[in-house]
Amino acid sequence: MLKITRRKFLQFSGAAVIGSMAPALSIDEIAQAAVNNPLPTGTPVVVVVTLYGGNDGLNTVIPYKDSNYFSSRPGISLKATEVLDLGQDLGLNGSMTGFKSLWDQKKLAIVRGVGYPQPDRSHFSSMAIWQSASPRSHLTSGWIGRWLDGQNHDPMRAIGLGSVLPPLLAGVRQVGSVLPLGGLVIPSGSLLADCKRLSNTSNLDSPLQAIAAQSMKDMFSLSKTVTPVLKKPAPVPDDLPTGVGGNFGADTSLSQQLDVVAKLIAAGAPTRVWAVSLGGFDTHADEVKAQSSLLGTVSNSITRFLSQMHATNRANDVTVMVYSEFGRRVKANASQGTDHGTSGPMFIAGNSVNGGFYGDQPSLNNLSNGDLAVTTDFRDVYGSVLEDLLKTPVGQVIDGWSTKSPIFKSA
Amino acid sequence: MNSYAERLEISRLIHRFGMGPKPGEFAQLVQSGVSNARTNILTPSATDAGLAKVAEPDLRDLGPRPQPNTPQVIPFANSMRKQNSDLLLWWLDRMVLADNALTERMTWFWHGHWATSIGKVEYALPMKIQNATLRNFALGNFADMSRAMVQDGALQYWLDGNQNQKGAPNENLARELMELFTLGVNHYTEDDIKNLAKALTGYSVTRSSGKITFDTKKHDATPISFLGKTASFDAISASDYLVSRDDCAAYITSRLWFRFISSLLPNSDQNIISAFAGRDILKAVTALASHPAMSDPLNSQVKSPIDWFVSVCRALQIVPSQVKVYGQIANYLDKLGQVPFIPPNVGGWPYDEAWLNVSSAQYRLAFAGYLVSIGNLSPLKNSTVEPAQFLADWLGVARWSSRTKTAFASAQGDPARLTLLAISAPEYLVNG
Repeated sequence: MLKITRRKFLQFSGAAVIGSMAPALSIDEIAQAAVNNPLPTGTPVVVVVTLYGGNDGLNTVIPYKDSNYFSSRPGISLKATEVLDLGQDLGLNGSMTGFKSLWDQKKLAIVRGVGYPQPDRSHFSSMAIWQSASPRSHLTSGWIGRWLDGQNHDPMRAIGLGSVLPPLLAGVRQVGSVLPLGGLVIPSGSLLADCKRLSNTSNLDSPLQAIAAQSMKDMFSLSKTVTPVLKKPAPVPDDLPTGVGGNFGADTSLSQQLDVVAKLIAAGAPTRVWAVSLGGFDTHADEVKAQSSLLGTVSNSITRFLSQMHATNRANDVTVMVYSEFGRRVKANASQGTDHGTSGPMFIAGNSVNGGFYGDQPSLNNLSNGDLAVTTDFRDVYGSVLEDLLKTPVGQVIDGWSTKSPIFKSA
Repeated sequence: MNSYAERLEISRLIHRFGMGPKPGEFAQLVQSGVSNARTNILTPSATDAGLAKVAEPDLRDLGPRPQPNTPQVIPFANSMRKQNSDLLLWWLDRMVLADNALTERMTWFWHGHWATSIGKVEYALPMKIQNATLRNFALGNFADMSRAMVQDGALQYWLDGNQNQKGAPNENLARELMELFTLGVNHYTEDDIKNLAKALTGYSVTRSSGKITFDTKKHDATPISFLGKTASFDAISASDYLVSRDDCAAYITSRLWFRFISSLLPNSDQNIISAFAGRDILKAVTALASHPAMSDPLNSQVKSPIDWFVSVCRALQIVPSQVKVYGQIANYLDKLGQVPFIPPNVGGWPYDEAWLNVSSAQYRLAFAGYLVSIGNLSPLKNSTVEPAQFLADWLGVARWSSRTKTAFASAQGDPARLTLLAISAPEYLVNG
């Protein structure tokens, strides 16, 4: 498949079913809440970035001094001149200059060899495992959703950008909200009045019909008084050159999502968790150019976003976490690409982070069935996010889990 | 006179197994009763006067893409765009104009099952050939369909089968063939995938035509251990073996159940699986259409954007290819997130609640306004029946809530407003 996108990826996981009741918010509703009930500064905010398709970790954080690396994937290995040295014989993909600067500022944690026991190589199953944080038993709720379950109800508390709720935001009793990109064009005049009538729920409605009515009602709950908040330009990065185009080549979709997040964080939205995503990492063929371009997008748009935060009073509050459903095979296939594999690196970026490496780099001399070993369980990273940023014991969200990684300064 | 329960079941039959009623059709089906309606909907005739009006698109082989920066590039790109658009409108026309839409409905189902995107394939011709294959076997035998699909150029290209070579297998097709197309996830091991990839080697696809060739020299014929059997397999024998397994019957019927009955409650009826024992798709579909779950009020389903759009076109007699503004329909469908031949990924399209949110509500309303402006509203204008009742019969809705009737009352005497409200109402967006 060419593109695994956020968009409707999740339906097969079964987890989407409970996403069903997700209210969809207008930007204006969130802006309204930001005005009425702003998040106190000093409150941690987490931005979860999902890379759909299975990012090839070995060509992201590259063991570029290991001869096994070059012999395993001769056609698609990156030479020393094509990587950005990180120390410990590892280098970042050369397209990730933004992340390299974060690394040099000690604002980037790289967790190596992240995965879970008995890796599943299905996109659908493995993404469901990451989003539910449940490798063994099939849970239909997401980890952030279960965190929401323990909070007072507030539809603004966790928000996914896009048209479909990612399962990670679906809890058992509460769900996050979805925020479509772009402004809404609302009917006016008699049509407005007609449609408002249609958006009332009826006691004859089936549950799905009630949701259909509610989704129309949400569209109308738009307050003109707060639109100026969103008409404002996004915060200006204070420490980056503003080249032609201003976004130095970032993919419009991810940078657009992060731009909306930046505006709303700057406005004080009472949102603790944001979910954004980028697809296209399923590089079975002709991998090098495509993946480098995607990684450049990830690195540039996140670096830009964090710089935007410097222009607000939230720079110390905002942390970005990046993951994908699996890494890829060590050996290249015959199509200059790689097939589905096991572990891969995670990135955590922000002022809250103790920059550096975490977890062991999986050895290329000690493969399990041709695949990388898992050296860090992703639930340890979630544990850090939950306990150190969201101030919730990990065991409340991930049953039976009690450990975490020392990624954050506050740990 | 017929009950609400009968109207509900017939509304489900015509929307889920057909593509929605043409003007007057629903009232006739209701008149005939549930059993006759079911038989009617499940029985395509050999000659379909509606389909006869749809001309085949002219999709010649465009050949390889010209070198960049040559004069040939622009005419090539124009031809490619024209062919892709013609292909889309051709299929939409078939869905809209078919008098009996069961075959188009099933072709659409199978397109979502063997979900292949022109986004990667690029050329219209291989997609058209795949579409013909899916239509040919849409109600036939699944073993035949699976055999044809493992040798389908578009599918092979989409899942990198083209690059799956002896000695250096690419597992993409092997994995999805088991996980998504025949068995369902976890009914095989990772070793089975690696071994199946070997069995599937040897094919190459000419991209522009979808023509597939098999080269024995590129095929890995060494015996493999595959799902408990050790033998030398090729694509055909592997397909046959997969389809013959009990897991296949359970999986395919569960997918049919999911799309035709309910995404919420899985099939628990062994009889549906038994109906598929011979891998006869029509038998399984008939078993579903006749199942008591069809009248259970719990099993409502959201119309996907295509379901909704096509059913509106059928009622309002809009022929997609005749719409004046070029690209308008594709543009709206894209905004709603569902364009035929461009599934989001190999897992196909989402369902139910995924289609109900603020952004889709906004675009659907805008699209509805556009469709009403170009549609034929004369059946409503000329009707002497009370408007709410007429709208229910015209559009195949079991009943309107008082909420929607109140909205109708405010638009009394204005056919365009009435129609817009009816096709935007929760009772129309969500099938019973």
